[in-house]
Amino acid sequence: MNPSNPPQAAEYGGDEVSAIVLDPGYSTTRAGFAGEDAPKSVIPTYYGKYNYEGQERLVFGDNMFVQPRAGISVHNPIGKDGIVEDWDMAEKVWEYSFASRLTATKPENPFHNGLNDISSEELPAEMEVETDEKPLADTPLLMSEPGWNPAKAREKTIEIAMEKWGTPAFYLARNGVLAAFASGKASALVIDIGASNISVTPVHDGMILKRGVQHSPLGGDYISSQIRALFKKNSPQPITITPHYLISSKTAVEAGQPPQANYRTFPADRAPDASYRALQEERTLAEFKECVVQTWPGPNKLSGPGPTGISNEELARSSPGRPFEFPDGYNQVFGVDRFRVVESLFDVKAAIPDPDSPVPAPTQAQTLPEVIKASLAGVDVDIRPHLLSNVVVTGASSLVYGFTERLNQELMTLFPGPRVRVSAPGNTSERRFGSWIGGSILASLGTFHQMWISKKEYEEHGANIVEKRCK
Amino acid sequence: MAAAADVRDMLDLPAESQPRPHKKQKVVEKRPEGITRELYALLGERAPPIAINENKYKGRPKLLNKLRVRQWRMSPFTNGARSDGLVLNHWQRKHEGARQPAPEGTQMDVDVDGTKEEGKEDTKPLEQEYTFAKYNVKAQLPRRYTDDEYSRHLRNNEWTREETDYLMDLVADYDLRWVLIADRYEYQPRMDSEPEGNAIVPAKTVRTMEHMKARYYFIAATMLAIEHPPSEMSEAEFEWHEKMLKFDPNRERDRKELAALQLNRTADEVREEAMLLEELKRITSNEQSFISERRELYSRLEVPVSVGNTAMYQSSQGLSQLLQTLLQADKSKKRRSILGPDGAVASPAAGQTPTQAGGPVSRGDTPSANAAASAANNNNKKGPAVPPTQPVVRQLTAAEESRYGIQHHERVTAGVQFRSDRAQKLTQAKSNVQTQKLAGALAELEIPVRLFMPTERVCKDFEKLIQSVNVLLEARKVSEKVESEIRVLEASKAERERKAREAAGETTAADPENPEVKTEAEDGTGVLGSTAEAAGSGGEKGEGGDGKNAAEAAKDDGKHKRSASVLSAVSDKSNKRQRR
Repeated sequence: MNPSNPPQAAEYGGDEVSAIVLDPGYSTTRAGFAGEDAPKSVIPTYYGKYNYEGQERLVFGDNMFVQPRAGISVHNPIGKDGIVEDWDMAEKVWEYSFASRLTATKPENPFHNGLNDISSEELPAEMEVETDEKPLADTPLLMSEPGWNPAKAREKTIEIAMEKWGTPAFYLARNGVLAAFASGKASALVIDIGASNISVTPVHDGMILKRGVQHSPLGGDYISSQIRALFKKNSPQPITITPHYLISSKTAVEAGQPPQANYRTFPADRAPDASYRALQEERTLAEFKECVVQTWPGPNKLSGPGPTGISNEELARSSPGRPFEFPDGYNQVFGVDRFRVVESLFDVKAAIPDPDSPVPAPTQAQTLPEVIKASLAGVDVDIRPHLLSNVVVTGASSLVYGFTERLNQELMTLFPGPRVRVSAPGNTSERRFGSWIGGSILASLGTFHQMWISKKEYEEHGANIVEKRCK
Repeated sequence: MAAAADVRDMLDLPAESQPRPHKKQKVVEKRPEGITRELYALLGERAPPIAINENKYKGRPKLLNKLRVRQWRMSPFTNGARSDGLVLNHWQRKHEGARQPAPEGTQMDVDVDGTKEEGKEDTKPLEQEYTFAKYNVKAQLPRRYTDDEYSRHLRNNEWTREETDYLMDLVADYDLRWVLIADRYEYQPRMDSEPEGNAIVPAKTVRTMEHMKARYYFIAATMLAIEHPPSEMSEAEFEWHEKMLKFDPNRERDRKELAALQLNRTADEVREEAMLLEELKRITSNEQSFISERRELYSRLEVPVSVGNTAMYQSSQGLSQLLQTLLQADKSKKRRSILGPDGAVASPAAGQTPTQAGGPVSRGDTPSANAAASAANNNNKKGPAVPPTQPVVRQLTAAEESRYGIQHHERVTAGVQFRSDRAQKLTQAKSNVQTQKLAGALAELEIPVRLFMPTERVCKDFEKLIQSVNVLLEARKVSEKVESEIRVLEASKAERERKAREAAGETTAADPENPEVKTEAEDGTGVLGSTAEAAGSGGEKGEGGDGKNAAEAAKDDGKHKRSASVLSAVSDKSNKRQRR
């Protein structure tokens, strides 16, 4: 195809208006231009807060991992259930997510950008004008939200977008719907395994079925807590995670031997907060999840009997273990334990108990099969088979090895009758950014542009319009 | 070419009769890039199998470089599907028609913020209908009822006016997608609209999708009927109306319950059903194959319908002719040959047709014979036509042959024959008299003329019997003839002796001729006398006539032949008498 020819708009139905898609999550916030295949800006939703010369300073994005600032504490504006708790900070984090990468380098008029100015005394006044400008003054914004977002939170979101960021057009879409769009389905059962929550969202004709939306807290953070519990009970010795920033040097040790490392120490007044360490530990745990943790692929539970009479646990034990080296040099091969940490997502009895953990022990109703069952019970019986044949898996925590196989098995045992078909993109970024990609598709569609809530409409009807328009 | 033709035309030369031969095209293989001319010359015609040229960036094609860069610009647009006139910007190729002067465009690119309003003004006339606005479609909904219509037609105890309005709003919002409507249905009766006196807040009724559908369909059908009375409805509208009126929420609910049951089957039930389905599939496929097999069998069994007269095939020439034509047809088809490479019958199926030609005869002969025997029989009968080298044919011993009634004929007469007929034929002599004699002989032996059991052996024996009867009759005829001659001679001798005695007495002989004639006459009378004797013993009425006839005949020509026949007739009678 001649690159100088535009694609026929009718062929793909696209019409890009350089909208920004913002997909805030508990763990990361994704932002990018609509029409692209991955978000340009992925930042942690966590932000750091520290005192510098008596002033409270904030640090956003990956910057906070670079330097353990004195007394830095880490916070998350979003609550454990995925609903924003701290609106001021949420606004700042979100604004940082697009302003840092997407809109800040806007070309300015060389007459006004200050570089060509002769009279230096007028400069501050000019700068004042510049900084006043709203960050999204000429960019439509598509935001995502969880399916159980309350009406007040939605109204607050559009208020921020319209009044603080000054976007000319805004839309608030459910991330379940967007994830379904990302896999090319208008009707699907979206299973989103996020950091703080797992959610099941039935989507019908591009709209969620509110009564079927279910979520439970057994997300990636829960898996982390299970891993921590496992480390506490580890057999040769309990494993303590020492994050990278506390290690100044290490020497290689044999597997299972105590680590030999030189640790960095911080004076008490300059030491980062425990929350900072927890966040850094979380990064190590994320690595552990990627490299070691595996879901028992089924059939049957890990504790259940296998197909040949040998119990599944025996089978899992016989499979070769996976080694993992911690930042302090301690390394160990993880055998059957690597299956145990995710097993409680499916089988509540397999949860590794840890009374000290801040994460409460899961209940039966929180396990994924139960959540799916509850979700399907909330929708009309006529569309249940259709939903089951269009199960979309998204969310970064679903990338745990063997997860979709197990999910498929669980669904087949739950619903032996109808055809179950799990569609999970193999591409990691498609799985991680499922709802963002869906938003990117949606916001670049020509037919979507009639859906935007324009500034004019917002001013006419008030924030309540989001309830009417973004159904 | 046109020029050459023109020149020829001008010079009055005849037009070129044939097109000129094409110029020999020089086949010059293009030298691949990256090989020097010298090296390429050394390589000769054959290019090396591996590409030597390295990949390098080619850049834009030259043709494109020459073209002017087509400009794209961020242009604002409005969407016809929107009511608020939201202006969004998208990239569009700048139209070449110079409707927009270029400097302004460049200025806009530089100074986006400053000239934004201006740019909008400029592009206004350029704008056309937004391409995607046409996809903004809404579901067709019935007209909303008025207050009057509601109170007259649509009142319902279960539904308040407010709730009905709410339902209709939802239906319009969600474009009749009932799954969504039922999902989002959250009607809360407004407290302030309730009359103050009615303190009891009605318990919040749970509306199921069926309730909503029933209500909506009722309203839609009623509105349709108000718009067009049923008598004026078009067919589609009427059908629609009927369908909506007939909606039965209870039935729908039952159906959903069943669907839920079906969905929540246990694994065992599913397995059982799958098994049953598999079984069913097996059965149906078996049935199918059985039917097809049976059809094939029938088609094999079906005798090709004989066209026209079969009389021409009833002679051996006709049969051989038929075989010839069949062979010819077979050869022309070039398919499986009837005859194998050694002239044997290749397959029973192919050899069927000739077999059937002789079929009826053989079946008539041996109706009880089994298939192999009859096949052998057929083949034997057609000895000259089809060599009996079929591998299935079993050589039978003589005992078996007789047991199965197998015969070997030297020549087959055409047509159907009955053995009893042949036996019957034997009893028919050439003359009626002889036939009667034969019948008489058989009657004397108490053997019926028509055989009761004309088996092979019976027929053979019967034949022998008839032969011997014939021989006997012949012998008797001869003996009677001889007897009568003896008698005649004796009579003539007695006459001569008497004459001799008379001659010795009076005159010896007057005429040599006369005694001859007399002898004849006396001979006849002598015969007459003997017949009279026979008649007398038999007690018949017509013996006198017979005797007179015989006497007359004897007088008429006096030939032996005649007398012999008479004698035979007489002797037949005497024969009868003797036997009795």
